[in-house]
Amino acid sequence: METFFNILLSGILLGGIYSLVSIGLNLIFGVVRIVNFAQGELVMLAMYATFFCFAKFGIGPYFAVFLVAPLMFLLGLAVQRLVLQPLQNEPMMQVFATFGLLILFENSVLAITRGEGYSLAGTYSRAVIDVFGLKASVSRVIVFLAATGIALALMLFLQRTMAGKAIRAVIQDRQSARLMGINVSRTYLLTFALGTALAGVAGALLAPIYTLSPYIGGNFILAAFAVVVLGGLGSVPGAYIGGLMVGLMESFAGYYVDPALKQAIWFIIFVVVLVVRPSGLMGQAGAEEVGLREQN
Amino acid sequence: MTRAGLLATAFATLLGATALAQEPIRIGAINPYSGPVALYGDEVARGYQLAIDEANAKGGVIGRKIELFRGDAGNPQQGIAAVEKLVGDKVDIFVGTYISAVSNAASDAAMRYSKIYWDTNALAADLTERGLPNFVRSGPYSASFAEVSANAARDLLAPALGKQIKGLRVWIESEDSIYGTSIAKRQKELLEKEGATVVGVGAHNFRAIDLTDSVLRAKGAAPDVWINTGYVPDGNLLLRTMRDQGFKPAAILLVGTGDTFETLEALGAEYLEGVAVVGYPRPDQTESYGPGAAAYLAAYKKKYERDPIAPQSMAAYVGAQMLIEAIAAAGSVDMEKVRAAAAKMDKPEKSYATGFGAKFDAKFQNTRAFPTVVQWQSGKIVTVFPKDAAQPNVKLVNLPRK
Repeated sequence: METFFNILLSGILLGGIYSLVSIGLNLIFGVVRIVNFAQGELVMLAMYATFFCFAKFGIGPYFAVFLVAPLMFLLGLAVQRLVLQPLQNEPMMQVFATFGLLILFENSVLAITRGEGYSLAGTYSRAVIDVFGLKASVSRVIVFLAATGIALALMLFLQRTMAGKAIRAVIQDRQSARLMGINVSRTYLLTFALGTALAGVAGALLAPIYTLSPYIGGNFILAAFAVVVLGGLGSVPGAYIGGLMVGLMESFAGYYVDPALKQAIWFIIFVVVLVVRPSGLMGQAGAEEVGLREQN
Repeated sequence: MTRAGLLATAFATLLGATALAQEPIRIGAINPYSGPVALYGDEVARGYQLAIDEANAKGGVIGRKIELFRGDAGNPQQGIAAVEKLVGDKVDIFVGTYISAVSNAASDAAMRYSKIYWDTNALAADLTERGLPNFVRSGPYSASFAEVSANAARDLLAPALGKQIKGLRVWIESEDSIYGTSIAKRQKELLEKEGATVVGVGAHNFRAIDLTDSVLRAKGAAPDVWINTGYVPDGNLLLRTMRDQGFKPAAILLVGTGDTFETLEALGAEYLEGVAVVGYPRPDQTESYGPGAAAYLAAYKKKYERDPIAPQSMAAYVGAQMLIEAIAAAGSVDMEKVRAAAAKMDKPEKSYATGFGAKFDAKFQNTRAFPTVVQWQSGKIVTVFPKDAAQPNVKLVNLPRK
């Protein structure tokens, strides 16, 4: 029974990791209508930035996050303004552009680090909470709490603030939003930067858990796409709950079926959801098609 | 100077002069020298260079000096391109690399020009299984790693735990590509033949985000010895998860990776204390096991002004030494003659700095090349197995693990 609860707990914590990575991806997808292939590499960049803060200046990851996230926000502004906005009327080219960014980021880090695996040394990754035999690494608990906090804060932001309402309006229909006087380009800019900053938060908080490699972004992103499809395109609570569900399914399948097969779970989810409920659990019906419709 | 000495000097100078007059032997070293995995590529090439320097200091081989040419390749396509380019540079013979996929493609390309591809560091079993007529592998391969890990469980870990191999409970974990699973399969066969109880075999994806499931499965089986074959990131994540989950097998044996600072940085010296790793032989072993290891280390330090980055370079150094011996015996760089000379090589184990001997089977796999086992002791790597490779004052630590 203890094992069952340990699996449950590890699934929830893994779900926290997926949620954290997926929220930014989903926000960008829902608003800017770009499948951002480089999202995982943005997380990777943030992980290296966090490592750098620690190795060079002795700043721990839980402080570095307040430095890394704003920097990533600026990077997001630059990418949206300089790369994606000029391609605004060519959605296919935007997808290719994010793919290009993926390769650029990956290879830049490769060239600098020569592929050595870095790890954040120190006590961050060692602390463990043990309650009645239920064990959880503190760094993973922090990731879970952060994912929950961010999901709530983002929902409040989207519901209560003017900027949030503008974002929601653009999600629903960018043409009408523009007619209502919403500056769509600025909304895109803000959203992409926000999504990038969220990747920054994810990277900083995940850095203590993993051995950094330039390819690590790709490890997160496949699952994140499954989460986005399951949770619903453009939905913040969808990404959060979708992340938890994928984490739990993976954990139980890994333990009770076979660890080598657990990644197949993502794709089963992917296909089943697309067939049964293409808008995902919490997505707006029809949202999955809007991405393909001409929207200028 | 005595008259004899003078004569000898004159003779040596004359020999040197004839060597200079001839075209040098050009050896093309295929390795990644740029990009993600360049660090080890450089390291392997340093091994070649040291062997070549050594031969040239003695006047070269078959009256010719040797020159090393580098062909940069991190993937199969680049491997082929590098061979083509080096053929243009009139390279006579190829040596290479620790990346099996590159070795596979580059040796194929070298075959089209009827040139020897002398493999020193790749591990995949299928390289020699192909029966390519220009291929020779001087170093150990995946099956040798499986064999040494099984021997270490029997002769090193079981006694340290106060147990017999018969009934020793072993969990065999590996990453789930052909590299990991082929070694795991062989380990299972060998250990079961010895009478060990394999309580479980687990495979995981080396890119997995979470390995709690793999760890809890192994924990539930309560093994005495937990063996893992994988890469650095997944190996580190497994060990971290084991620590978090309080899974403490009496002995941990890692195969292939886990003996570098990358693992030390991730886990810390305290946790790694006592962890054993099957890997390439290291220069700290005894002179009787690896004659020339100390000299190799000294030469490396002199030329590169630091300690070797990874043990791969010593295996590369020894591989290049064997190649040069084969060329000397063949009296030529011709593909068939060098292979025929290699086939005749018969040196017992413990002939080279790595402890290797030289005896090639019908598929031109060196049957006398084996990895050794090292143990983490206070954040340092110490050779502990085979017993005659370990320095006499070396003792095993933290077995069973506390």
